[in-house]
Amino acid sequence: MRAFGALLILCISAPAVAQSVVVSDAPSSTSVTVYRDSDRAQGTFNLRWLAGYALISEKRRITLPVGESVVRFEGVADGMIAVSAVVSGLPGGIEEKNRDARLLSPASLLDGSLGNRVHIRRTNRQTGKVSETDAIVRSGPDNAVVLETPEGIEALRCSGLPETLVYDAVPDGLSAKPTFSVHTNMAQAASAEVTLTYLATGFDWGASYVAKVAEDGKTLDLFAWLTVANGNNATYEQTQLLAVAGKPNRTSDFRELAGSMQSPHLNLQCWPMDSTSTHPESPMEERMVAYDMAMAPAPPPMAMMRAAKEGNIVVTAQAKQEDLGDLKLYRVPMRVDVVPNAHKQVALMQKENVPFTLFYAADISLWNDDEGSQPLTRMIRMQNREKAGLGLPLPSGGIVVMQRQRGEEMLLADGDMADKTIGDKVEVGAGISDQLRYTLTERGDAARDHESYRLDLTNATDSPAAVEIKLGIDDEQKPRKSSAKLVRQDGRWMWKTTVPANGSASLSFSVKDR
Amino acid sequence: MPIPRIVSLRAPLALVFIIAAAPLMAQDAANPTAPSAQGDVSVTIYNNNLALVQDVRQLPIAKGTSRIEFPDVSAQIRPETLSFSAADTAIIEQNFDYDLLSPDKLMEKAVGQVVTIVRTNPATGAETREQAKVLAVNGGVVLQIGSRIEVLRDDGLPVRVIFDKVPANLRARPTLSVRVDSDRAGTRPASIRYLTPGLGWSADYVALFDSKAGRIDVQGWVTLTNNSGTTYNNANTLLVAGNVGQSGRREYPAYSAVRMPIPSAPGGKMVSAGTETAERERLGDFYLYPIAQRTTIATAQTKQVSFLDVQGVPAQATWEHVNGWLASSDQPQSANSVVKFSTSRSGGLGDALPAGTVRFYMKDAGGAPQFIGENSIGHTPMGSELALATGQAFDVKVKSTVETRQKLGTSKWRTTMRYELTNAKPDAITVDLVQSGLDFYWSDTKVVAESMKSERRNADSVVWSVPVSANGSTTVTATFETRY
Repeated sequence: MRAFGALLILCISAPAVAQSVVVSDAPSSTSVTVYRDSDRAQGTFNLRWLAGYALISEKRRITLPVGESVVRFEGVADGMIAVSAVVSGLPGGIEEKNRDARLLSPASLLDGSLGNRVHIRRTNRQTGKVSETDAIVRSGPDNAVVLETPEGIEALRCSGLPETLVYDAVPDGLSAKPTFSVHTNMAQAASAEVTLTYLATGFDWGASYVAKVAEDGKTLDLFAWLTVANGNNATYEQTQLLAVAGKPNRTSDFRELAGSMQSPHLNLQCWPMDSTSTHPESPMEERMVAYDMAMAPAPPPMAMMRAAKEGNIVVTAQAKQEDLGDLKLYRVPMRVDVVPNAHKQVALMQKENVPFTLFYAADISLWNDDEGSQPLTRMIRMQNREKAGLGLPLPSGGIVVMQRQRGEEMLLADGDMADKTIGDKVEVGAGISDQLRYTLTERGDAARDHESYRLDLTNATDSPAAVEIKLGIDDEQKPRKSSAKLVRQDGRWMWKTTVPANGSASLSFSVKDR
Repeated sequence: MPIPRIVSLRAPLALVFIIAAAPLMAQDAANPTAPSAQGDVSVTIYNNNLALVQDVRQLPIAKGTSRIEFPDVSAQIRPETLSFSAADTAIIEQNFDYDLLSPDKLMEKAVGQVVTIVRTNPATGAETREQAKVLAVNGGVVLQIGSRIEVLRDDGLPVRVIFDKVPANLRARPTLSVRVDSDRAGTRPASIRYLTPGLGWSADYVALFDSKAGRIDVQGWVTLTNNSGTTYNNANTLLVAGNVGQSGRREYPAYSAVRMPIPSAPGGKMVSAGTETAERERLGDFYLYPIAQRTTIATAQTKQVSFLDVQGVPAQATWEHVNGWLASSDQPQSANSVVKFSTSRSGGLGDALPAGTVRFYMKDAGGAPQFIGENSIGHTPMGSELALATGQAFDVKVKSTVETRQKLGTSKWRTTMRYELTNAKPDAITVDLVQSGLDFYWSDTKVVAESMKSERRNADSVVWSVPVSANGSTTVTATFETRY
């Protein structure tokens, strides 16, 4: 009765068989545009957690038969965001796009075999004899497997014997990876070059700046790498690599849209044996592929350091910058290979003899008046203007500051840089100075409604030092009776002074109580 | 995805299985590789993770009282919403059984019964069989073998336990059934209807923006997701743009297929709501988006079908910066790049837009489209004005600083703000500079002086339309009187 019913339905569905499947296994040419993780702070990215993304464009040549067909795209990035996919160049148009994520796994194999005949294979540990019996799967993988064998009802792997299930075939609709396909309808057979464009997670990029301070200490050579990382398993050979600087808006959760690759867990349980016996370990249990396992630790970015140590960085090709609306697009001038779990660097920009000023800075809260002597921060300041030797967009990233000393490049600082456009002031932290220090003291001679302070600066170096101190005074408070001129800059009260070589400077001021 | 061609290939195989399996089948187990038991399926999907499934099956119903099982319904079915109807039949009861078969349950139900145990000699591998009575299953299995009492596998040696049968009422999967009373025997269409979570939809838009020409090409795709655990074959599919009320249904996650925007990103804004009616079918106040052809919605599938394709809609690139409070920013802040367009019939997209995500693309110097940012929209009536932030402009920045703040009286303050707008682009632009946060406890904040005329948008914010020349800068100053 059942068999007859099955036959009937198949006959009914037979006319729909006209659909053919066309598989496009690999692209003929690709382009990869990498976007940085906009929620990430400045500086370098974590290779184990690449939260940026890329726009991948693939050209594929396919031959389509007449009538309805399903075009399956294989070899796409694992982080593909299928809902962002755009397929152009299909002469028959697109009826629908599908992403199927029923993955082949021990659990889905079992689930798909529910009610079907499988084989149970037992191996005798002593004699090595293998016996195989037919069985029908009577319960799903949610709470362990019950089998019906010619002998009766048994539970899988509860006996302590080596036993496993053997299947005749993979159930329909299960695939190794999520698949992306489109339905099209052709009036006549044709060969077409289609372009598949989609966003994919698991990429990131940043600029890696190397600033080499000249021996005179007045100018520096600024060089930057465009550092791209690919955490996907897809390889893009001889691809057009691009990178976008700026901050495109992101409202959807790309990681969720890309979907995790985790499939249902196969969890075999047996009858209660709890404390009285050993519970059989389940070797069939799927291991969760932790994200950081997929992201095998990549070698540290040594290229930058090595190049810097060897002296001048010699590059043959440099990324070309163009405007993309309100964003900046960097185009790598030659075709490159973007390979899985890898980090690639190409030259982004280079400017020599950029004048800079060195100064020491601190942002001081008046609450911290009894912390003793504190070091100041060394700062490098450049003006991003053509007249000032720069004048080009500087995308965010990490920066290392090097100085030549005793014939060798020495590291002065390792800092971060935000997106800086032309005209912006560029200030980079270049380490802490223990030779230039400040001490803030609240004085006891305050009037009833005032607090008065004294700020001392000391310089243990043998050259005069420019110092800029930001004072933590609220907008509604006004400093009074200051012994030196305080300026209001960028919404803050500042004291700018020069501390003589091996000397000191001091400031006294008072602030009205709130 | 089950492609029919593959189904036909498998057909003889399935048939063999069924014939071979028949003698072993004590009761009706769902067989997923057999063709689905679904009939003529219609699925109506709402935005808030809810769908109405209607399934008309040809069922042979016996005269008198009989029980009918419904395999291949949604694995997440809300059983209490089931409604069944067939000609000349009355319903006696509807049942949803979810006592699932597991080794644990099997052993528990065997208490008091006799099972076969097979021991394997660890040295020789020889098997010995014994009959055992299950005495109790409480944190371990206690057996009586002849006159001995033993704990199953207490010594850790291999022991197989063989049961005679699967206890009644234990099932592989939750099973829906109805008991009916029929006036006559015969096959007739029987329709079942139920609600299920796990199906949802939203829209995804691809917007190719040409800022120089001031136009935008928009493709709209409905994206439906099926996480209900069941495939709906050859279904007549209808999408409803709206969230139907589901009061108090806490047991189902409030997850909506309309993806929530990430809070830090500026959301899309409907500047003005439209008053035009789109030429689409409606259900109450909801617009309906039918899928033209019958389609198979496979389990774990995300399906996209086109519903909108409009070329050359006028669109404008604009910039906006919001200073949230009368405060200074450490660094100059990038202004938001905002694309403005209309959904009106004249000079716009000319359609009502279901809620979803709009992804903007722009052509690079080589003519290839590049992604420039995305934003989300809610259900948008036709004729609305939309302003969607696509990202932050690299070249357009605003530095806000507090120049002075004075106390005027017991609770009155005067704050002078200075806004420096810089434009590193080679074109002159106009930036909407917004000072918000003015409605802080008291809404009588006044602008007492300003370097250019502002517009008071509402109690909370004022806006200046500030022209900034190419590679230039403009400074705006304003003095506010506030209370606090």
